[in-house]
Amino acid sequence: MEWVYFGTCIAILITMVLAVVRGLMGPTIFDRVLAVNMFGTKTVLFIAVMSFLSGRPDFLDLALAYALINFIGVFAVLLFFQSRGVRREAEAEREAGK
Amino acid sequence: MITIVFSLFLLTMLVIVAVAILRTDNLFTAVMLSGIFSLIMAANFFILDAADVALTEAVIGAGISTVLFLSALALTAEYDRSPPVGTWVPLLTSSALGGVIIFATFQAPRLGDPNAIVHKHVAPWYLERTPELIDVPNVVTAVLASFRGYDTLGEVFVVFIACIGVMSLLGRVRPRRDSIEEGEFEKRSDNLRHHLIPRVVGKMLVPFIVLFGLYVQFHGDFGPGGGFQAGALIAAGVILYALVEGGPRGRELVPEWFSSMLVALGALTYTAVGVVSMMRGGRFLDYSALSHDPIHGQHMGILIIEAGVGMTVAGVMITIFHAFSRRGIR
Repeated sequence: MEWVYFGTCIAILITMVLAVVRGLMGPTIFDRVLAVNMFGTKTVLFIAVMSFLSGRPDFLDLALAYALINFIGVFAVLLFFQSRGVRREAEAEREAGK
Repeated sequence: MITIVFSLFLLTMLVIVAVAILRTDNLFTAVMLSGIFSLIMAANFFILDAADVALTEAVIGAGISTVLFLSALALTAEYDRSPPVGTWVPLLTSSALGGVIIFATFQAPRLGDPNAIVHKHVAPWYLERTPELIDVPNVVTAVLASFRGYDTLGEVFVVFIACIGVMSLLGRVRPRRDSIEEGEFEKRSDNLRHHLIPRVVGKMLVPFIVLFGLYVQFHGDFGPGGGFQAGALIAAGVILYALVEGGPRGRELVPEWFSSMLVALGALTYTAVGVVSMMRGGRFLDYSALSHDPIHGQHMGILIIEAGVGMTVAGVMITIFHAFSRRGIR
């Protein structure tokens, strides 16, 4: 059974590398946001599999915490773009009004 | 063996990401990459068996600091200005310092060496005596809260002072007149209230995050976790609510006076435990004096000081977030 976990770990690590490559290359901001999001998901999986590989499934707690927390970062990014859009719109309107 | 290979792999990625953070001009990219940096670091801590630290890194590094960085970014420019000319002095300084550190690692014991000083000093004593003296399954909690209670008290006060520092920068000053008025901005939605799916899903998650935070708080004796992690998780729940419903609603849920009171109250609780144990004839922070049964006293002391730590950490995170959101994510 152990080699299954081991193989899965390797596969997840490779996916992590792909996510990092996308995050580094970009080119747009949304590529990077997606890269972070995907990397977070892979970390959750990696920790879950590693906790079975090292024989301590009670560390799944950590994976749970990661899964919950990942969500908040995405919300902050969404909010950031929304409020930036609002501000730019308002600035453009004011420029036009002058 | 697997540990070392995985660890090396992750650390290589870590270096690449760290260099990329330094190289990029776009601050938003830097924030996203530092999120990845924290996640790699957390996975690495986990591989090295430091479950408590991995939990802290995940909650604070990947969760809350992304939110705080973005809040700060919303108040500043999007691009980093390149430094002025004459970069060879910093380059020389940092490479000299790096050289010294690399030279020092030649003297360091190998990873997992059972004869390393750190495994020979007090660690065996802690491992051996914890069941007898404190009787909690998670030795990390025993060391952090009881054996090394002074250090943790110091840490709590460091967090407390850091909060004072941040608040003296961000605190009561009214923001400069921004590009648009506050009322107008509210009208144009400073939150995700108008988006149905994030709103529903986000609000659904808040109670679970807070519940999980409480679980981490009170389960810290048995599994990974404790006051620091729990405080950050509960703060993350409040921050998520504020992100979904908007800053003003977040400040209604946990008012600013309450969150800043929490900061002081947590540190006070911790110190009070020490004073009470002194008044009952023990030494400062000697929890055995708290009850007739020393082990019961230890359990009680750890529970209370962990609660104090959690209060301070949660208070600090929420206070800083409120300060940013009051300055306007606009």
